[in-house]
Amino acid sequence: MATTAAAPLDTEALLDRSAGGGGRPRRGPGRILAWVALVLIMAATLFPFLWMIRTAFSNGAALSTQPASLLPVEPTLGAFRRVLGLASTEEAQAQGGSGAAIDFGRYLLNSVLVSVLITAGQVFFGALAAYAFARLRWPGRDTVFFLFLTALMVPPIFTQLPNFLLMRDLGLLNTYAAIVLPFFFMTPFAIFFLRQFFLGIPHEVEEAARLDGAGPLRRFFGVILPMASGPITTLAILQYVQAWSEYFWPLLVASEENVRVLTVGLGIFRAQTPQGTPDWSGMMAGTLLAALPVLLLFAVFSRKIVNSIGFSGVK
Amino acid sequence: MATTSRVARPRLSSTGDALRPDSNGSTRERLTALAFIAPALLGFAVFYFWPTLRGVYFSFTEYDVFNAPVFVGLDNYRALFADATFGNAMLVTVEYVAINIISQTVLALLIAVLLHRVTRSVFVRSIVVMPYLVANVVVALLFYWMLDAQIGITNQFLGWLGIEPVAFFGDQNLAIPTIALVNTWRHVGYTALLLFAGMVMIPHDVYEAGRVDGASEWKMFWRITLPLLRPVLALVLVITVVGSFQAFDTVAVTTAGGPGDASRVIQYYIFDLAFQRLQFGYASAVSVVLFVILAAVALVQLKLMRAGESDVA
Amino acid sequence: MGTKRRIARTVAAFTGVTVLLTGCASYGVDPGGDENSGEITYWMWEAAQLPAYQQCAEDFHAANPDIDVKIEQFGWDDYWNKLFTGFVANSAPDVFVDHTSRYGEFASRGLIEPIDDLVAADGIDVDAYVQGTAELWIGPDGKRYGLPKDFDTIGIYYNKTMAADAGVTDEQLKNLTWNPADGGTYEDVIAHLTVDQNGVRGDEPGFDKSRIQTYGLGINSSGGPNGQTEWSYLTQTTGWTYMNARAWGTEFNYDDPRFQETIAWWRGLIEKGYMPPLSFTEGGSQDQQMQAGKYAMVTEGSWTLATFAGLEGVDIGLAPTPIGPSGERAAMQNSLADTIFTSSPRKGAAWRWVKYLASAQCQDVVARSGVVMPALQSTTETSKAALAETGLDITAYTDQIDNGTTFPFPAVLNSAEVNATMVSAMDNVMAFQADPSSLTAANEKVDALFR
Repeated sequence: MATTAAAPLDTEALLDRSAGGGGRPRRGPGRILAWVALVLIMAATLFPFLWMIRTAFSNGAALSTQPASLLPVEPTLGAFRRVLGLASTEEAQAQGGSGAAIDFGRYLLNSVLVSVLITAGQVFFGALAAYAFARLRWPGRDTVFFLFLTALMVPPIFTQLPNFLLMRDLGLLNTYAAIVLPFFFMTPFAIFFLRQFFLGIPHEVEEAARLDGAGPLRRFFGVILPMASGPITTLAILQYVQAWSEYFWPLLVASEENVRVLTVGLGIFRAQTPQGTPDWSGMMAGTLLAALPVLLLFAVFSRKIVNSIGFSGVK
Repeated sequence: MATTSRVARPRLSSTGDALRPDSNGSTRERLTALAFIAPALLGFAVFYFWPTLRGVYFSFTEYDVFNAPVFVGLDNYRALFADATFGNAMLVTVEYVAINIISQTVLALLIAVLLHRVTRSVFVRSIVVMPYLVANVVVALLFYWMLDAQIGITNQFLGWLGIEPVAFFGDQNLAIPTIALVNTWRHVGYTALLLFAGMVMIPHDVYEAGRVDGASEWKMFWRITLPLLRPVLALVLVITVVGSFQAFDTVAVTTAGGPGDASRVIQYYIFDLAFQRLQFGYASAVSVVLFVILAAVALVQLKLMRAGESDVA
Repeated sequence: MGTKRRIARTVAAFTGVTVLLTGCASYGVDPGGDENSGEITYWMWEAAQLPAYQQCAEDFHAANPDIDVKIEQFGWDDYWNKLFTGFVANSAPDVFVDHTSRYGEFASRGLIEPIDDLVAADGIDVDAYVQGTAELWIGPDGKRYGLPKDFDTIGIYYNKTMAADAGVTDEQLKNLTWNPADGGTYEDVIAHLTVDQNGVRGDEPGFDKSRIQTYGLGINSSGGPNGQTEWSYLTQTTGWTYMNARAWGTEFNYDDPRFQETIAWWRGLIEKGYMPPLSFTEGGSQDQQMQAGKYAMVTEGSWTLATFAGLEGVDIGLAPTPIGPSGERAAMQNSLADTIFTSSPRKGAAWRWVKYLASAQCQDVVARSGVVMPALQSTTETSKAALAETGLDITAYTDQIDNGTTFPFPAVLNSAEVNATMVSAMDNVMAFQADPSSLTAANEKVDALFR
C-alpha cells in the first residue's frame, strides 16, 4: 500500500519495534511517583480547557459571585448568543457583554480558506524546491540554498514592516491575497524539512525510473512524491496549525470584517468588551468556538497528528 | 535498522548521498530545476530579500507612511542607543526568552522521559500536545482570565492557601514571567513530543546494558538519554527561539506592553513605533539591530547543532 | 582606472536600488470621495452609550434610507491602537468619536476633515452648545473639526453605607479640603474609610496596611499625561498648569515642584495602605471594585453616572472634588465630538450622519438615556431630569460648570508620543519603580518633541 513507504519513518512503528524489549523501568515507588507526575501534567494541560468551557456556559454578570465553583455559574447559553450576535445589545449588556459580536461563520470560512491556501502553496512549492535542492544538479544550487537558510534566521517582524508597505503600495490591503501571499510561495522550514527527507531516499529508487526513460518531472511526480506522502502529511499538518494560529500578519493587513480571520476576530472581540470589566464568559465562549474546529479535527486524527509531530523533529 | 539511523541524524549540510557536486547536470535537468525552484525563488525574492533591503533602507530615513521617506543618515541608530525604552525592551525580551527556554526545555524533558519510560499511550501524548493546536491568541485570553487578579481561578486557589491575590499581568515584576510561562504551557507538549521521538530512536539495548550494569533510572537519564539527545535538543532550542517571537500575540491581547514598559517586548515595541506612532524609519532601525543580534545567536546555535551532529553519528 | 569604473558601477547600482526602493510607493493621505449614500462605519468606545446611539442610527436610517450606519465599539485602550493601524492601512472608519487629547495630531497629519465650510453652509449655530464645548474642537490650525455632542466633568462617588458606618456625613464629604502637604480633610476621610481585615481603620492604632479589606480611595490608572479622573482635580488647585498654553502648548510643566509634590502625595496613599497598588488596575474596573466593597470612594467622570447608579447592592453617593490650596475646587471639563476620516469614500453621507449626531433629534435620545450630558443646551433639562432619576446628586458635577471652576482638557499635538512617554513615566512612578522627581526627565523628553 501507499503508506508502507512512510511507515518506517513513523514513530509508532519504531515504538512497536522497541516495545517488546522491556525497556521500561521496574515497578516500584519510582514508577508510582512517575505516574503521579504524569497525571498532574495531564491535569494542568486539561484544566484550562475545562475552565474555558465552564466559563463559557456561565452568566457573565454572576461570575464574580462564585469565582471558584467548578460548574457554570447560573448556566446559560447567553455568552454564545452574544458572541454570535444573536442577542440584543440590552440582553448582552445585562450579562456583562458590550453588544459586540463575532461573525463566526464568516471568520471561520476566512480562516479555513486562508490556512488551506497557505498550506497547499507551501507544501507544493516547498516540495518542488526541496526536490531541486536534494536531487537535481544545477549551477548555483548551494549558494541559493545558503540564501534560503539565512531566511530561516530573519525575525518575522523584520520583513513584516516592509511587506506591509508593499501590500499597501500594491493596493492589496484587506484582501485574502495580502494574508496568503508572503507565505504562499516559500517558507524556509518546508523546504528544509522535505529536502532532508528527499536526501534520505536511496538513489537506486530514482535510478531505476531513470533507466526506464523517466525525466526529472516524471521521477518527481511518479516516484518521489508518492514516497513522501508521510512527511508531506506531517508538514501539511504543522503548517496548517501555524497558519491557523497566525495573528500578527493578518491583523496588520486584513482587519476589515469581510477578510477577518478567527484570531483577529477574537482579538477584536476582546477589545470590544468593556475595558475595565472584561466580558469573561463572552470571551471564553469566543475562544471555545475558535478552538473547536482544530480540536475536533484533532479528536479524529489524533494518532496521525501525534506521530507526525514527533517525526518532525528528527527529520 | 538502516532506516533508524538515517532518521536519527539531523542534517543541515548540503552534501547528500544522491548528489555529485562536481557535476552541474544535463540541460534538461537544469531546466527542470529552474522550473522547480522558480516559485520558491520568487517568494524569497519578493517577500524576504526585497523587504530586507527596503527595511535596511528605511532604517536610514524618517518615514511616517503618509509622506515620502526623508534620508537622515545614522540619526535613527544614534537615537536608538540613547533610547531607554529600546534598552528596556531588549532586556525584557531576553528575560522572556530565558524564562521561556529554560522552563520549556526542562518541563519538556521531564514529560518526554515520562512518556518514554512510563507509558506510551497515544491518548496521553494527544492530551499533552493539545495546547499546541490552539492559537496563541486563544491561549493568551484563556490565561488572562484564569490569572485575573480579582476573580481568576488561580487566585482563588492561592486564597485557599492563605496567599493574597496576585496580579499576574498587572504587576511589573510578574508580567513577563507570566507571559513566558503561558507560552510554555502552549508549546511544552510539542517540544516534549520532539524530545520523545528523539528518545525512541535511542536503541533500547543501550538501556538494557545500563540496567545490567545496575544503573538507576536517574543515572541512565544523565549518562544515556541526555547525551544521545543532544542533536534533538539543539533543534528544540532553535524552534524555541524562533517561537519566542510569538510573544507578540500574547502581549498584544493581554497587557499591550504594560504596566509601564514591563512587558514591552522588542516585537511589540517595533509594532508600537510603526503603527501607533508612525515612526516607520525608527522602527526599521530597531528591527535591523534585532536582526543583527539574532543572526549572531543563530550562528552560535548552528555551531552547536553541528557539534551535536558529529556526536551521534 | 578599474577602480574608478567599479566605483561608478557601485554608485549606479546604489542609485538604481534607491529608486527601486522608493519608486513604487505612493505618498500622501488618500483624499477619499464625496459619495452621498451607502454604508458608513462608525466607531465609539463607550459601551454604556451604545444603545442610545444605536437608537440614533436606526432613527437616522429611517429618515435617510440611502445611508446605513454600522456601529462598532472598542474599549478605550484598544480604540486608539485600532484607529492608528486603521489610518495606516486605510481601513479607518468613515466617522468616529474623537477625543480632545487625540484629534490635534490627526488634524495636523490631515487625517480628519475640517468642517467649517459644511457648518457654515448648513447654518449650524455653534452657540447652541454648552459654553466652552464648541471651542474645544477648534484645532491647532484654527479650523473646526467636530461638533460637540456631550460634555463631562469629574466628581467623587462614595459608598454611603461605609461612610455612615465610619461616621462621615454627606455634609463633610461635600466640603472636603486638600493640600499636598498633609492631604487636608480629604486624606483624613480617606484614611478613616480604609479598613483592614481585622476591622481596624486606617487612622487607628494597630492598622495593618498589608491586609486591606476596603481601600479608602480607588485607583483607575496612573493618569498618564493628563490624569483626567486621577489627579487633575488636585494639581489644578495648586495653580499648576499642564503647559504654556491652554491647548496645543509646546513647553510642559511636569517638572514643576507643585505637580511632583501632588503626585508624591497621591502615591503616598498607596504606601499608607489607603489606595491599592497600581497592579490592581489590570482587569477590574473601579465600579466593579466598589460593588465588591473593595473601595469606599473613587474619583470618576460624569460619563459613569449610570454605571455607578446602577450598581446592585451598594448605596452610592456623589460629592464634588475637594477644595484645594487655591481656595476653590477644580474639575476637568471635556467634550467628545465625531470626526470624519479624510480618506472616507463617502464623506457626503458621513457629514449627514455627523450633523444628525450633533442635532437635537439624536441628542434628545441620548439625554433621555441618562448616561451622559449632551452638549446641546436645549437638551440640558431633559438630561438633568433623566440623570436625576439615578438618585444621585448631579449638582456635584453641574455646580462646577455653573461656578466656573472647570478647566478644559489639555489638548496637545504629538499626542501619541506624549502619551507613550508620560504613561510609561507615570506608571513607573506609581509602581514605585521611579521617584516623582523622575518626571523632570520625562518632561524634558516631551519638551524635546516640540523643538
